[in-house]
Amino acid sequence: MARIRLQSVGKRYPNGFSALENLSLEIEDKAFVVLLGPSGCGKSTTLNLIAGLEDVTSGALYFDEQIMNVVPAHRRDVAMVFQSYALYPHKSVYENIAFGLRMRGHPAADIDRRVKDAARRLELEALLDRRPHQLSGGQRQRVALGRALVRQPAVFLMDEPLSNLDATLRIAMRAEIKQLHQTMQTTFVYVTHDQAEALTLADQIVVMRDGVIQQIGSPEEIYDRPRNTFVASFLGNPPINYLEGMLTEEGEALCFQRGSLSLVLPHALALRLKGQAGRSVKLGLRAEEVDEHSVPRPGETLHGRVSSVLPVGSDQYLGFEAEGKLLFFRVGRDLRHREGENVALSVNVNRLQIFDSGTGDSLLWSGNGA
Amino acid sequence: MSALQGTAGLPPPRAFRAPVSRYDQTSALWLLAPMLLVLLVVAVFPVLYSFWTSLYDLKLTRPHRVPFVWFDNYLVIFQDPLFWSSVWRTASFSAVSVAAIMVIALLMALLLNEEFRGRRFLSAMLLVPWAIPYVANGLMWKWIYDSGYGALNGALFQLDFIDKYMVWLGDSHKTLPLIANAFVWKEVPLAAILLLVGLKSIPADLYSAARVDGANVWRRFAHITLPSLRPAFMLVAIYETMMAIRHFDLFFILTEGGPAEASHVLAWHVYVETFRKLSFGTGSALAYIIALVTFLLAFSLIRALGRRL
Repeated sequence: MARIRLQSVGKRYPNGFSALENLSLEIEDKAFVVLLGPSGCGKSTTLNLIAGLEDVTSGALYFDEQIMNVVPAHRRDVAMVFQSYALYPHKSVYENIAFGLRMRGHPAADIDRRVKDAARRLELEALLDRRPHQLSGGQRQRVALGRALVRQPAVFLMDEPLSNLDATLRIAMRAEIKQLHQTMQTTFVYVTHDQAEALTLADQIVVMRDGVIQQIGSPEEIYDRPRNTFVASFLGNPPINYLEGMLTEEGEALCFQRGSLSLVLPHALALRLKGQAGRSVKLGLRAEEVDEHSVPRPGETLHGRVSSVLPVGSDQYLGFEAEGKLLFFRVGRDLRHREGENVALSVNVNRLQIFDSGTGDSLLWSGNGA
Repeated sequence: MSALQGTAGLPPPRAFRAPVSRYDQTSALWLLAPMLLVLLVVAVFPVLYSFWTSLYDLKLTRPHRVPFVWFDNYLVIFQDPLFWSSVWRTASFSAVSVAAIMVIALLMALLLNEEFRGRRFLSAMLLVPWAIPYVANGLMWKWIYDSGYGALNGALFQLDFIDKYMVWLGDSHKTLPLIANAFVWKEVPLAAILLLVGLKSIPADLYSAARVDGANVWRRFAHITLPSLRPAFMLVAIYETMMAIRHFDLFFILTEGGPAEASHVLAWHVYVETFRKLSFGTGSALAYIIALVTFLLAFSLIRALGRRL
């Protein structure tokens, strides 16, 4: 059991490249935290620092109250699952799982019991004598999990553990990992670039970019209240749409204005934008926040032309030209618009996002509200 | 798209293989013919001919009488005590050389696998002994070991390890180790490169996983590096054993089998029989015995190491 605390941590490589700068993060005991970001954002580096595979160049890393900066990896009570699985190719499944226990000097009987427990849990019992090269991708993944969980570590680290699996297996393994976390009652730190994985697994998501944390929050917070355009763009499929425009005051109401488009912001949003009228902003409109069933009301209508219809099985994506921009929406598949048709969509104005057009910071959630 | 529908559940189609037409086969044979001919003349024929020779009592000292003696040559060889002592010398020379090559090459490869200043220069220097021909290597060591003006004597004398110049190669206890030393010096580079390739192919993640699993540096070496290098070790062991068993050049240049018979190894034995005694029959038979021994050794090494790959 451990609470992990990174305090102004920096990582600079000998060649001068700075992977992390002044990163502060607290991971509660037994939490499931997902580090999310594009490749090169520093999420794997952060994980390696926690594991002890790389050294912290500045700042401090704590497990509970103990400073860990110089504790070598093999003395830390962490287990890690790698993207490549990193199974020992010349050892049997049994020996792969047992290795960590052997290295820590557990008695043989204890090792045997624990390995068999783990194998039963992961349905690997029939495979214990096999070598990694005789296993399928999913089976290897299970062995990698088994090798980590058999140690009952204080911290469980996972570096893109599912990205080498095919789509079906990935979803099944997601469920299994979530269950594992519930039964193991230990701290999980999970690195991925896959937003769906982050949203399904995490208690807390840490969105990173260029070695800097962009936002920390629950999946709902991250999705509903993104602090900037980077976070907003990184989650959502198809990605969030942006429209540049102005905030204007019309009588009592605050509106977003762009050309002939005028959206009236609901009271709750308008309150957060007090005194911002006249400012040029970037409107964020999530792909699913339009409706073509209901009759659009004034101030909530987006006029445009359907430029393409892309069925994706459960839904269809709508390419939509409005205000000189191409937007993408996700709509149900029961509605069939033809390409070239002019349509009025009803916008869910309660879910609009407003960003500063220069910095990309949210004008709604930038402050302490996020 | 519609052409793809309905294929789910069917076994995947077999890989398409075009039938080989008679025309293709004959033209392939014609294209290969020149090389086959060369191989026939320079490899197959001499091999068969030397086996044929080994069944005759062919001595150039009396070239007019060449009786067919069946396997008598082989019997003569096996009854010769010098043959058996040369087998023993070859075996000890090979065992010591190959063991030394493996250990030194491993250390070399481990060093060159690290990042440090001057690594490239050192790698290039490592290749020098490999690039030197055996004869040049032999002459160089002959000079180093020389009793009158050799570098070895000079260095040891100046460092006060010896109080007078030694006749290194004249000491029958030191001859074989000294020749082995020259052989190892020449062979280490290739072995080191083969092992280095093996080292480079070990995924870094394995070491990370082992570190997280609690393995310190020695255990990582024992549990990951050594087992992963097994194929490279096998290659080096087989190749160097074959080189050592058949090695001739250094014995010819440094000692000519001497002093007395201290460095009289199998390859030298063949030379003496064939070109000094001019007994081509027994010489050919001996060559066949060496080939057979080499083959058996390689085979058993592959069996012993290969099974655990």
